Amino acid sequence: MDMNKKTVSELEAPVVDLTINRSMTDSNIDKKYNRGRVHVHSRSTLPEKQLFSYAEYRAQDAERIGYSQYSYWRSVWRNFLRKKAAVVMSLVFVALFIFTFIAGAIGKYDVFNLRIDNSLMFTAPNAEYWFGTDNMGRDYWSQVWYATRTSILLAVSVSLGQIIAGVLIGLVWGYVRKLDSFFFSLYNLIDNIPTIIYMTLIALMLGKTTLIMGVSMIAFGWLATARNVRNLVFMYRDREYNLASRCLGTSLWRILSKNIFPYLVSVIILRLALAIPSTIAYETTLTYLGLMDISTPSLGILLRNARSYFLDYPYLLIFPAAIVSIITITFYLVGNAFSDACDPRNHV
Amino acid sequence: MKKLLSLVLALAMVLSMACITTASAAEITDLRTWETTSRELETWNIQKSQAAQDLNVLCNLFDGLLTNDASGALVGNAAKEWSTPDGGKTWTFVLNDGMKWVDKDGNEKADVVAQDWLTGLEWVLNFAKNDSYNVSMPNDMIVGAKEYYDYTKQLTEEQGEEAALALTADGKFAELVKVTAPDDKTIVYECLDAMTYFPSVATYNCLYPLSAKLIEEIGVAGYEAITWENMWYNGPYVVQSFIHQNEKVLVANPNYWNAEGVKRFNSVSIKMVESVDTAYQLFYNGELDHVQPSQATLTTIYNDKNHEFNKNLVEARPTKYSYQMHLVYDVNNLDGTPYTDWNTAVANKNFRLALYYGMDMTPYLARTNAINPLSCQNYAYTGNAVAVNSQGIDYTQLVRDELGLQYDYNTYVRYDAEKAAQYKAAAIEELTAKGVKLPVNMVYYIKGDSQTAMDSAQTLAQVIADGLGEDLVKLEIRTYISSLTNEVRVPQYNCLFINGWGADFADPVNFLGQETYNDPAAYYSNNYSMINKATDPDLIATYEEFTRLVNEAKAITDDNDARYAAFAKAEAYFIENALTIPASYEVAWELTCINPYSKVYSAYGIQAYRYVNWETNDQIYTTEEIAALAK
Amino acid sequence: MAKYILKRLLQSLLTVLLVVTLVFLLMRLMPTDYFFTEDELMKLTEEQKHDRLLASGLLDHPLKQLADYFKGIFTEGDLGVSRRIQANQPVTKVIGSKFSISMELGLKALGISLVIGVIFGVLQARYKDGILDAVGTAYTVFVNAVPSLVTYSLILAFGSRVLGLPSMFTMRKPGPSSILPMVCLSIGSIAGYMLWTRRYMVDELNKDYIRLAKLKGLSTRSVMYRHVLKNAFVPLAQYLPYSILLTVGGSLLVERFFSVPGMGPLLTDAIARYDLNVVQGVVLLYATLGILGVFLGDLLMSLIDPRIRLTNKGATR
Repeated sequence: MDMNKKTVSELEAPVVDLTINRSMTDSNIDKKYNRGRVHVHSRSTLPEKQLFSYAEYRAQDAERIGYSQYSYWRSVWRNFLRKKAAVVMSLVFVALFIFTFIAGAIGKYDVFNLRIDNSLMFTAPNAEYWFGTDNMGRDYWSQVWYATRTSILLAVSVSLGQIIAGVLIGLVWGYVRKLDSFFFSLYNLIDNIPTIIYMTLIALMLGKTTLIMGVSMIAFGWLATARNVRNLVFMYRDREYNLASRCLGTSLWRILSKNIFPYLVSVIILRLALAIPSTIAYETTLTYLGLMDISTPSLGILLRNARSYFLDYPYLLIFPAAIVSIITITFYLVGNAFSDACDPRNHV
Repeated sequence: MKKLLSLVLALAMVLSMACITTASAAEITDLRTWETTSRELETWNIQKSQAAQDLNVLCNLFDGLLTNDASGALVGNAAKEWSTPDGGKTWTFVLNDGMKWVDKDGNEKADVVAQDWLTGLEWVLNFAKNDSYNVSMPNDMIVGAKEYYDYTKQLTEEQGEEAALALTADGKFAELVKVTAPDDKTIVYECLDAMTYFPSVATYNCLYPLSAKLIEEIGVAGYEAITWENMWYNGPYVVQSFIHQNEKVLVANPNYWNAEGVKRFNSVSIKMVESVDTAYQLFYNGELDHVQPSQATLTTIYNDKNHEFNKNLVEARPTKYSYQMHLVYDVNNLDGTPYTDWNTAVANKNFRLALYYGMDMTPYLARTNAINPLSCQNYAYTGNAVAVNSQGIDYTQLVRDELGLQYDYNTYVRYDAEKAAQYKAAAIEELTAKGVKLPVNMVYYIKGDSQTAMDSAQTLAQVIADGLGEDLVKLEIRTYISSLTNEVRVPQYNCLFINGWGADFADPVNFLGQETYNDPAAYYSNNYSMINKATDPDLIATYEEFTRLVNEAKAITDDNDARYAAFAKAEAYFIENALTIPASYEVAWELTCINPYSKVYSAYGIQAYRYVNWETNDQIYTTEEIAALAK
Repeated sequence: MAKYILKRLLQSLLTVLLVVTLVFLLMRLMPTDYFFTEDELMKLTEEQKHDRLLASGLLDHPLKQLADYFKGIFTEGDLGVSRRIQANQPVTKVIGSKFSISMELGLKALGISLVIGVIFGVLQARYKDGILDAVGTAYTVFVNAVPSLVTYSLILAFGSRVLGLPSMFTMRKPGPSSILPMVCLSIGSIAGYMLWTRRYMVDELNKDYIRLAKLKGLSTRSVMYRHVLKNAFVPLAQYLPYSILLTVGGSLLVERFFSVPGMGPLLTDAIARYDLNVVQGVVLLYATLGILGVFLGDLLMSLIDPRIRLTNKGATR
């Protein structure tokens, strides 16, 4: 990377990009280094005869043409499977998500028909109420799992939306030089106004439903990804092989999709993985500020409500908080592992 | 290590024993109270302020003409006596001697004179100065007030703000408004009508004084932007420090005219806290003198007999609000067309009575008071302690006598399953005949981000379903974004409003006068029940009869007992026809070092937070102690 | 260089003006109904509402209002008066009384997290894949895993109930009462600084010149602190001015929770009260500091790392 030729403002915004570098370089360099050392040692200890020997002639082999079995995604998959912790966590997450559907069915109460009973309020978890009851004697189990499902769906769709918008805008921004200053102004303009202003205005003018707030989170959440992608495109678009490729008449689309995009995959995956927990945290804050409609239970709402109960009834906080933590940790681990696996430089 | 620990423990025990044994009834000299951060003071201009969060502070910094005592009765404040020579048409107030205006450090600035009340009222009525804050009561009561307000408004429009800002209490004001100060100690108000309750208005900030000398000193613009640092005080406290969203410290006014006559704290600090949970935390750490625990904390303390505060829980006195379920008689669908099914159903008396008798509100009341829900039961329309007759009987008691509903703290008295079933059957029959599709959806809007409102609404839905089944009526909960008025009330989407009304002055007309038929001054008729737009003849006839009863009562101005009795009859008629259904009072629980029965207790006015004559205890009161004090 | 700085400053000024204009117009999009409290909406007639809006100047054309606003700023440095946050007080006074509190608290927290974060980051990198590294990573993940609303509530509850620390900030005892807010403010940024210090250190450790230094026989300690840390600190330093300046903004949740009378909740409070001048004033401050912070960061970086030249074709390459 010829960093020294870049102006500082083009350098990365730190937060996520560097995580990416970490996973790429860490594993990468360590591996190369180790391999190199093993090589040196083995060469110096083995007798020459074992190092060099004549190959025998085999007709079959001689006929074989140079064809590699390499497939990008299969390789990604294989690399990913090597990370045991990540695999386990992603299985846990998938199980968790599936369970949000099952939980409602196996639970004794339907989340939409919970009965208010003041004599049952703040019942600790027991055989009847597996997660206890809330401040109005309603079953907490059904609420927690329904909320989990809502939050996961919201977080995944918001994050996907942010990433897709960010990548598309970032690609254009990075590749079309004429638009660079335009996008920079736009970026500066949006970035320097506190998001809370946009969110409040939207909440007051259009409404606070999950859909509206979700779309708004996308509309103001693509910035960091776009800038990140733009910088990466900048870095790779003028590499010699791309220049060569362009000179040979390769189409823009092909250069973007075949030459540049693979470099972005790991970044995108990691950003996606990190966007999910931050969306849940953001949703919690918005709920606290009264900018989310509470008709649909979500983890943010449960956490906010639990704030005034948890000292006396900790279980009301522990269950949703534990689920949020599981989701977050999963995406941290899986995101890192997957983005490592996606980096073609890590493929053998 | 172990030794040290046991030593510490022993020491702690000795100390705590010492605490218990020294638990004498020492009074608090420096009060520490709280308010939530969303209720921060916004203006120091008492003429302009309309918000409780401002007035709760400001009422300590100024003395108005009258105030209330702990039983709610009117007592003199700046005025030592008040009288009417003509049965309520003109009112004369005579001021105390030796009252001073002081600055924040207590330095004397000027004498308080009768003219100051004229300057104050001029400021309120002047459109350019006060942007029409606090004008409605003077406009409705004082001769010439409305004319002067209109004059200043016109002047502002025609000649610009400057012209109206230049006005004082001398020129046009003296000419139009019938408020005079014959001498430095006397103020005479002339009312539009015989108003026996006018003195209660004298506790309001619309009739508060303002020194003309202060305006001379800092100018009109200066008073518009007045702060605690440059304003003049004439009340029991002055402000020592104010840190926005953190803490206000009031200290006793060293030059207070009535320093001997009232008991004050040396200082009062009002801490701004994020929520009641934080307040409880502060109380727990001994940094506050009273708190209202949240539902979770309350339940824990109440259920745990060994909890350190278990013996200290007391029920607070009811707040001044009387909550009602206002039925709406002209509702629209979301597309703007009339919601005919509902409009027909609600005009039907049997339908309304089915609701009235069919709801056992106990679970709903538990939303306010989880431990003793029935403390919140309310069967009348008018609030508590608004009016008391000459035998000392509260007006609401008269209403309950008429209705035959007396409080029973074991059951919800109004609920009557048998009657409900009868009325329901009749309603189903009649409504089906009229082609109404049953069950009819009772649309109820709540604020979309409020968990409390959602919980209450769901409770109400369950109360209705439990009492009446699901074949007549169903509560449909919808949410609005931010403004109930604009999003729901104005387009008329709501079938039901539940809200509380607090009195402005001491007379039942203040409540019932809001519900009369075809009366432009009747607030609820015009803005909530929309009765004036209803078409059903039976319904209108019922309303007309109610209006006749109210007007009859209003006409009695020479005998308060007869007046209240007549109002009670009108109110009973109103409720028996379930034109509006009484819902609840607010009675919370608290832990406190303050005797609640020593505080100003008033159903109207701005006096409730005056920190004068409070009895306190540096130990938290126990439940028994408070029970004894209540008697 | 001077020319470049001037150019960047002008660009920044332009951006700030654009930002303020945008916010100004956005706020005018907000329905004027929010001008009134719910109580006023209930009780005022249409005519009275109209009168109040007229008196406040909100019925003028937005562009005229904008022109007046900028005129006020440029001729007298006047940001207008607050409407309801502190009625009729100049916005400069409202903000002025608050930002120093946020800044003081923020700077202390920043200092603490920088020291702790960098030290632990260095140790993590030094003993990479050891127990310390794992503990550090676990901390980072945990801090990020639990929403701050929950973390702060736990800190508040634990700190005040178990440790008996003051649960509310007070100017009378700023020392002890700012412990818990500072813990809340630092807990996240410690994780951040740890993460990035470790990250940059590990990156540097893997570079060829370090290997060379090691081969030359330099001690690990000397390599670590003389070379690695120095170079690893460069990218961190870039964000330092930005972080320092933005401490002025305070933290919404922390300041709410502990009743710190700072800038944090001001923006949301002002929007909720339709206090447009305060909103604009706060945004003006944030934007100025934010843009200045990035600029100073670039400048600082070019000063400590001579390989980075600022004057290379500008930001638009």
